[in-house]
Amino acid sequence: MQSDPAPGPPAHDIAMWGAPGSGKTTLLAALNIALMRRKDDWKIIGSDAASSDYLIERTNALSSGRVFPEASQSLEHYRWTLVGPTERHKRRWWRRLRPAPPLKIGISMVDAPGGLFSAAPLRTGNGSGGVDDPRRRLMDNLVKSRGLVFLFDPIREFELGDAFNHLHPPLTRLAEKMLETGELRDGKLPHHVAVCITKFDDPRVLETAEKLNLLDPAPDDEYGFPRVSSEDARDLFRALCEVSASGNADMVVNALDQFFDRTRVEFFVTSSIGFFVRPQTKTFDWHDYQNLLPEAGKDLRIRGQVHPINVVEPMLWLGQRLASGGSR
Amino acid sequence: MPEPDKALLRKAVARAVAGLTATGRLTIVEVAADAMTVFRIHRDDNGRPRCHYWSLSWGDLTSEHGWGDESPRQAVLRAADLPSADEVVLVCSFPDGAEASRVLGWLSEERPAAVHPVDGPVTAIVEDVLASDPLSRSYDLVVMRADHPSGRLRLGSKQLFPIGAVPGTRAEVTVRCEPGDEYGTAFAVVTWQGREPRLLSVHSARLTPGRYLLTAELMRPGKVRFTGLGELTRDPRDWSDLVAAAPSQLPPRTGPAHLICAVEVCGPDAKVEERLSRVRQVVSFLSAELAGLLRVSLVAYGAHSYDDRSQGEHPVEVAAWQVAPEHALAALEPLEERGAITEGYPYYPHAAQLEDMLDAVARRLSTSEHMRTVLLTVGDRPPHPVRANRSLILPCPHPHDWQSLLSRVQRRPDTLLAAICDRRDASAHPAWRQLGADAVAHLDALDIRGLATDLGLSAPAALPIPFPLLDETE
Ligand SMILES: Nc1nc2c(ncn2[C@@H]2O[C@H](COP(=O)(O)OP(=O)(O)O)[C@@H](O)[C@H]2O)c(=O)[nH]1
Ligand SMILES: [Mg+2]
Repeated sequence: MQSDPAPGPPAHDIAMWGAPGSGKTTLLAALNIALMRRKDDWKIIGSDAASSDYLIERTNALSSGRVFPEASQSLEHYRWTLVGPTERHKRRWWRRLRPAPPLKIGISMVDAPGGLFSAAPLRTGNGSGGVDDPRRRLMDNLVKSRGLVFLFDPIREFELGDAFNHLHPPLTRLAEKMLETGELRDGKLPHHVAVCITKFDDPRVLETAEKLNLLDPAPDDEYGFPRVSSEDARDLFRALCEVSASGNADMVVNALDQFFDRTRVEFFVTSSIGFFVRPQTKTFDWHDYQNLLPEAGKDLRIRGQVHPINVVEPMLWLGQRLASGGSR
Repeated sequence: MPEPDKALLRKAVARAVAGLTATGRLTIVEVAADAMTVFRIHRDDNGRPRCHYWSLSWGDLTSEHGWGDESPRQAVLRAADLPSADEVVLVCSFPDGAEASRVLGWLSEERPAAVHPVDGPVTAIVEDVLASDPLSRSYDLVVMRADHPSGRLRLGSKQLFPIGAVPGTRAEVTVRCEPGDEYGTAFAVVTWQGREPRLLSVHSARLTPGRYLLTAELMRPGKVRFTGLGELTRDPRDWSDLVAAAPSQLPPRTGPAHLICAVEVCGPDAKVEERLSRVRQVVSFLSAELAGLLRVSLVAYGAHSYDDRSQGEHPVEVAAWQVAPEHALAALEPLEERGAITEGYPYYPHAAQLEDMLDAVARRLSTSEHMRTVLLTVGDRPPHPVRANRSLILPCPHPHDWQSLLSRVQRRPDTLLAAICDRRDASAHPAWRQLGADAVAHLDALDIRGLATDLGLSAPAALPIPFPLLDETE
């Protein structure tokens, strides 16, 4: 995929990826909310009507209905564009020599029911192209993109420990493809990867980070939310892998090292729903920060306002990386 | 009309017996036509007059040497042993006989004493005098006295018959009998020699526990008959056996008691109904068991709400506090009619306001009052933690700390924790293990009597009290 001129389709595709339930849909909805909360002019726009509707629907569900976006039922391909601020909106006192076009980042997601990326469905071709088709589309998606958002759900890893199964087969196939087309660089895939550790708001994740002394106070944060910096995120990732249910999580680390240049992999500790804060105090409370509210016989609800943490950052990081050295 | 000889003699013997000291000896010698009888009387350890007697016939006395010799005289004086007696009464029932006169002469010679004439056998008179001798020591019943605040038991006695009491005298005592030991309850009579009790008699019976009006009748010295208890049998134990059998402490006291029933009223309707009906059963059972001694409190609690937009919390309800069981049962009715509350959104589905309930109870429990208090919690949901943790249960909004509240209740003197939990032990939250620290039962298989026994709320049968109890107030 090559760079496009400013108008038209976005320059760089980011493919989003992770085990079912790892929080992809919620992350996208949270991304929209997070962008709307930002004072700068980043926005996310659907590249087609279905994608726009999806975004609106999921965002509304998350912000006003306080329910999680419904689990993906059918395999569908969505495309959005993350559009950066243009010069005139920045109202800076200096002038740039020539107006730059706004930065656009294409995000695509094949929102699929569980199992699509895992090893299991690869063994069960039913003859009709029905199963192969979405997989081919996914693979296309990965091949075309230069940025990957890999969602690692530590809770799922505690309980199931199957992150490796969702990571390794597609990476192997991706490497196969890229080898065919001669796109491997020094034996590695050319992508930039944002590994998003999701559900930071869960006590099991937050406590682990706290025990490891990985929490950074963020003095500029209006709510005083704890954070894990990108440097420390790698350590947290490793620590979370150590308590994986399958014990295979160390292979996740190895697989990432195997397939990607280390300088192109960045870790982010994220939470789509963020921590709960009381409307009265508007401050993070160590005693009471869970933003999930279980409902009898139903799924979880979101308890208070959604305060997405670190959901814009991975996208912008990828965008900036792709824009500056996309064809390195 | 002059008194007949017999009456005069009886009077003299009675006077002599009455005058016997603890160590004194009385000798009565009856000289008859062909023999003499020596009655030796003293008081035993219980002050009861005892008599031994033996006879010496003239035939035996003179078979070898006849009356002329010195030896019959020696034999007579040896048999009578008058010098060792403190008091001597001589009786002659055949004044005309030569042998009798000779023997009386020898006796009077050694110990001058009035000779009482009599025409019948003296044995009957002596026996009659001894049987009607007024008591020289008081007769007491051995009882246990309980010191109520401490529950300490002391072995003591209660006077049945004072000094001077004569046979035929009756005395009544009300005693309480608890389940006894293998002999049942022992009715022991003692006399006092200084500070030392002397056991006079023990009879025992296995009695149904309860209050008895006991009638003691002095039949004769040394014999007391009890009526009002049914069949008593002789008890072979001696005083040290009896003392060893006496416990030093009352069994755990039954009542007065304060039962606090805390019921979880959220969850499936059928469960709530079941829990409330268990509470009704327990209160009814205990109120029958403890009669007027039971006070009951009723606390209902549901689920917390975590949606600040909704009307929110349904607080813990104290439906009754330390009231008579009937009132508690009445307060239970509206809860039964209402059924489950705080169900569905926005109420928390996986935990309940246990910690708020504990706070409400701890707040109301006074520390000064010393009464057996039982907190009976009926439910199954875990409490909310005081702060977010790996359980993922949201923290209590107030925020109460169930652990410290529960310990506070538990540390209170004479306070027990019981639980009727819907869940089997393994699946219950640790809080439920602590809530049921002293007794646990499962909702479906509730043994109320067992639960009551575990909590010391039913009549105990454990510690035998082998003596009648005397309540100090009586
Ligand atoms: N604690 C927490 N749970 C989350 C978060 N995002 C998603 N979840 C949970 O993960 C479930 C699956 O999320 P979803 O976005 O549907 O995952 P997807 O299958 O990857 O699209 C949700 O229903 C939530 O229960 C988050 O930020 N924090
Ligand atoms: Mg989804």
